[in-house]
Amino acid sequence: MIDVRNLSVTYGDLRALDDVSVDIADGEFITVVGPSGCGKTTLLRTIGGLESPTTGQVRVDGDPPEVAQSDARLGFVFQDHTLLPWKTALENVTFLRRMAGKDPDPGGARDLLATTGLDGFEDARPAELSGGMKQRVAIARAIHLGADVLLMDEPFGELDEITRDEMSVEILRLWRENRKTVVFVTHSVPEAVFLGDRCLVVSGAPAADGPTSPASGTGTPGRIVDEFDIDLPRPRDESVFGSEAFGRAVAEVRGALHDDT
Amino acid sequence: MSVAERVPAPGVVLPVSALVVAIAAWWALTVALAIPPFLLPPPAAVAARLAGNPDLYLTNAVTTLRKILLGGAVGIGAGFGIALVVWAVPVLERAVYPYLVAARVLPKIAVAPIFLIYFGVGFETALLFVALIVFFPVVVGTAAGLDRTPESHLDLLRSVDADPVRIFLAVRLPHAIPDVFAGAKQSVTLAVVGAVVAEWILSNDGLGSLILVASENVQVDVMLAALAVLLCMGLLLYGGVTLCYRAVAWQ
Repeated sequence: MIDVRNLSVTYGDLRALDDVSVDIADGEFITVVGPSGCGKTTLLRTIGGLESPTTGQVRVDGDPPEVAQSDARLGFVFQDHTLLPWKTALENVTFLRRMAGKDPDPGGARDLLATTGLDGFEDARPAELSGGMKQRVAIARAIHLGADVLLMDEPFGELDEITRDEMSVEILRLWRENRKTVVFVTHSVPEAVFLGDRCLVVSGAPAADGPTSPASGTGTPGRIVDEFDIDLPRPRDESVFGSEAFGRAVAEVRGALHDDT
Repeated sequence: MSVAERVPAPGVVLPVSALVVAIAAWWALTVALAIPPFLLPPPAAVAARLAGNPDLYLTNAVTTLRKILLGGAVGIGAGFGIALVVWAVPVLERAVYPYLVAARVLPKIAVAPIFLIYFGVGFETALLFVALIVFFPVVVGTAAGLDRTPESHLDLLRSVDADPVRIFLAVRLPHAIPDVFAGAKQSVTLAVVGAVVAEWILSNDGLGSLILVASENVQVDVMLAALAVLLCMGLLLYGGVTLCYRAVAWQ
């Protein structure tokens, strides 16, 4: 479904990603974990066509990301909910379809909001919704777009931990029901383990300011340093968080992160 | 209607009380110090002036209001349009925008005598002057507002390859509205100033002219009556813009 081949991305002097290759299967839930500034967001944005490869290539179902964009096959969810403050929850969900040149289908949007637990909030504006609810609307918007691929960039990064756990369970349920391919970027190891079929560990460091930094201030480009198959049984719910297998998997991924830094 | 509904809110009671106290103090001052009415007439004398010749004030108010509304509309429209063009053409923005901002410090009133030479006395010259004064806050407000859209919102729209014109109309412009109106509110206040100054220098009618003539004849009561009308007009206009903003705003 998604084929990333020898991808490097450079901004001026800064090498953000270096020779990254990954294959993502149709319907797979991939998590990408790593510290801030390691390049994981660049990887996601390049898959989504918001950044261009410097070398290497990205293919979504055989097409360049730009083609996938214009067919509305890519559904982004950002850390910032990016809801328009003057539109209601329902209008926000239909808005992206309209901007993509598709029929807005308010009926479908209404149903989708109901299944994401926002029944009765269709006409609420973002200011009247909690952080978790706003992200639910943003997720509903991406699903409603009809995209095959959900690209999620730390979507729960601004939520409190309790809400994060709830949202994690929620996103798995929506993924089960809608069968999308998901690429989910996070800096939370437990989140990455809980959600993913497969967890990619990215390492890299942004350029430090000042002459004292090594490698003449260009930092270390992001690379995939490890990859884990998470074989926790599905469907997963809150009970997984307390399980021994979950703890072991988290420790393993953490180990890989720290070995490298 | 219940009693509670008939009691005005404290937000109304207090300012109105202050106004009553101020007018009473004005009256007390004229009585206690026996100020000659030609220096400072008591409030009742000003009110009598207004009531005695309402046509004079109404006619002049309409004349001034026309300058404010037409000149204001031209200036706000031009400011908005030029801001769009300057914003849309990056070369222009870099070349011209610093001067548009810098021109805010130029005392536009000092330009009036030049207008007098180029365009002569008349309604159109006054309009042009009001438009000039009103222009800058809208340019600066609009240009700032158009850059207010968060980058992530633009990313979202790029991710579905949305048409740039639709992005502009559906996202950028609404994001800019609070700043456009912040500029327009400044503009309206300036439009009243501009109209009065224009009536001193560029046309011989309206409330501004009335104040000037009354000053030459030392008719303080007429001047104060005209000022009171100007004040009411300014407040109504400001309120009008605020209402417009409420009608289109999202905050």
